[in-house]
Amino acid sequence: MAVEISGLKRGFGKVEVLKGLDMSVDSGSIYGLLGPSGCGKTTLLKVMLGFLTPEDGTVKVPKGIPGSTVGYAPQELALYLDLTISETLLFHGRLHEMSIEDIKDKKSWLMNFLDLPDENRQIGKLSGGEKRRVSLAIALLHNPSLLLLDEPTVGVDPELRARIWGHMKEITSQGTTIIITTHYIDEAGKADRVGLMRNGKLLAEDSPSALMSKHDTKSLEEVFLKLCRREVKVAE
Amino acid sequence: MNFNRIKAIAARKFSSIRRDHRMFAFIVMMPAIQILLFGFAIGASPTGLEVITVGEHAIIDELEDSEYLELTSMENVEEARDLVEKGEAWAVIEIENGTIILHFDASNQQVMQTISQEVRTALEATAPSLPITQADPVHGQAEPEFIDFLAPGIMVLVCFMFSVILTAMAFVGERNDGTLDRLFAAGVQPLEVMIGHLSAFSLILVGQVSVVIAIAIGLFEIPLEGSLVLLFALALLLGWAAMCLGLLISSKAKSEFQAMQLTMPILFPVLLLSGILWPVEALPAGLSHISQVLPTTWAAEAFRSIMMRGWGIEADIVWKAFIIVGIFGTATLLGAAKSLKIKS
Repeated sequence: MAVEISGLKRGFGKVEVLKGLDMSVDSGSIYGLLGPSGCGKTTLLKVMLGFLTPEDGTVKVPKGIPGSTVGYAPQELALYLDLTISETLLFHGRLHEMSIEDIKDKKSWLMNFLDLPDENRQIGKLSGGEKRRVSLAIALLHNPSLLLLDEPTVGVDPELRARIWGHMKEITSQGTTIIITTHYIDEAGKADRVGLMRNGKLLAEDSPSALMSKHDTKSLEEVFLKLCRREVKVAE
Repeated sequence: MNFNRIKAIAARKFSSIRRDHRMFAFIVMMPAIQILLFGFAIGASPTGLEVITVGEHAIIDELEDSEYLELTSMENVEEARDLVEKGEAWAVIEIENGTIILHFDASNQQVMQTISQEVRTALEATAPSLPITQADPVHGQAEPEFIDFLAPGIMVLVCFMFSVILTAMAFVGERNDGTLDRLFAAGVQPLEVMIGHLSAFSLILVGQVSVVIAIAIGLFEIPLEGSLVLLFALALLLGWAAMCLGLLISSKAKSEFQAMQLTMPILFPVLLLSGILWPVEALPAGLSHISQVLPTTWAAEAFRSIMMRGWGIEADIVWKAFIIVGIFGTATLLGAAKSLKIKS
């Protein structure tokens, strides 16, 4: 198990965000965290990164986080707009103490794989989708064993999104663990395991096929809908 | 602490600074403009002062040569006083039976003192038998100018102020746009962020300090009796300490506006309580205690001692200034690193 969380509670001031969340992520798998905006996905990732301390519950993550064990692509693009693509990758590679050769090799691979424009283009002048791909490139650059990707495919075209998923499948087969948040239901369906998140809790987590057969539906969307309705009823 | 990460952060910050042309111009030009304005506007003796003389005396011929006064002679004291009353002249010098009577518009102390000083100098020149003589001064010039007192303080102020402003907004933006989170995720420590930023700004600091010292000594001909190297070293240390304070502000402020709000209330006490504009000996007891703990007070006194008195590092005032400014910088740097929390 790469990540194991039980009974996690965390809020900001009087606002409760995570309300007793349980989650387990297998090593070498893709975990799709699916839920609407504001359900606490980003807060959960920040707890895993060690930025937010839990108020209650236990959180087990691999050793070396924060550090080079983890590759993190935040939801806000978090890029230095005045740097070029090349300088950005060089900077992050140096933070992880990669050798210049390694950085260059990985850079040319990433530029090609993510279909990035000229490496001397300034980040501030890129389109939203291009910026998001640079953000993803930074997370992949140092071959981390855990990837935390917060909505990495927003605004990325379908062909490239498929390629990114193909690459993610490939690196998980080599042992990398990936946790990806998304609000695209069809995208979450490609994950090995999906956590359906709502109001600071996981309503369910399992493989997409297991979830659909358990709830006797043909799509994850219907599973989500059923679980939401059930939760609303319980609340009433 | 990881030196490679610090180097990476410094290099990245430096290319950002270099590329931001407006910011770069601000950084280079502002201290120069500031010290030029101070030098031209403050401290020099006022000139072209209208003064009316009534009556005859040897000093009046002497005063005709004054570079500060414009003399006009009149017959009637009452009419002359009327002109002062209307603001058309600053003073009447009335000679009555060999006695010199001065009628002042005393609304401007600096002007009044300049005129008094000129009259006294003229009197000494015409009646050298006065029972008082000034020997060569121990420090400074025989006729010290206010700017000689002021200039070292203004140099301290400019070095301090622009270094604080330089770094006060250093990573307000970076915290809000998530780039700082990315650094922390990579395992970077807050102190590494701080030292990286300091290193990037250090080159600029060297430029700023050089410009300030060059203008003061080269253009305004402020005397430098002591060591230029020592002066430069203290100015750099002061600028460095001020940058640390700026970083502390930056780590506390949630927006750039808030960073400015935090900067202003720091700069005013520095200006007013550090003996920059006026001797600290004139402060009331309570404020004088505050003055004693400001690093700028020590720096200003040490600047003056190096420049006017020619003192070296062995002088108490000078080495203490280095230590106090150094402690202040280190403490604010650690405080800044502490308040830039990874965890919350």
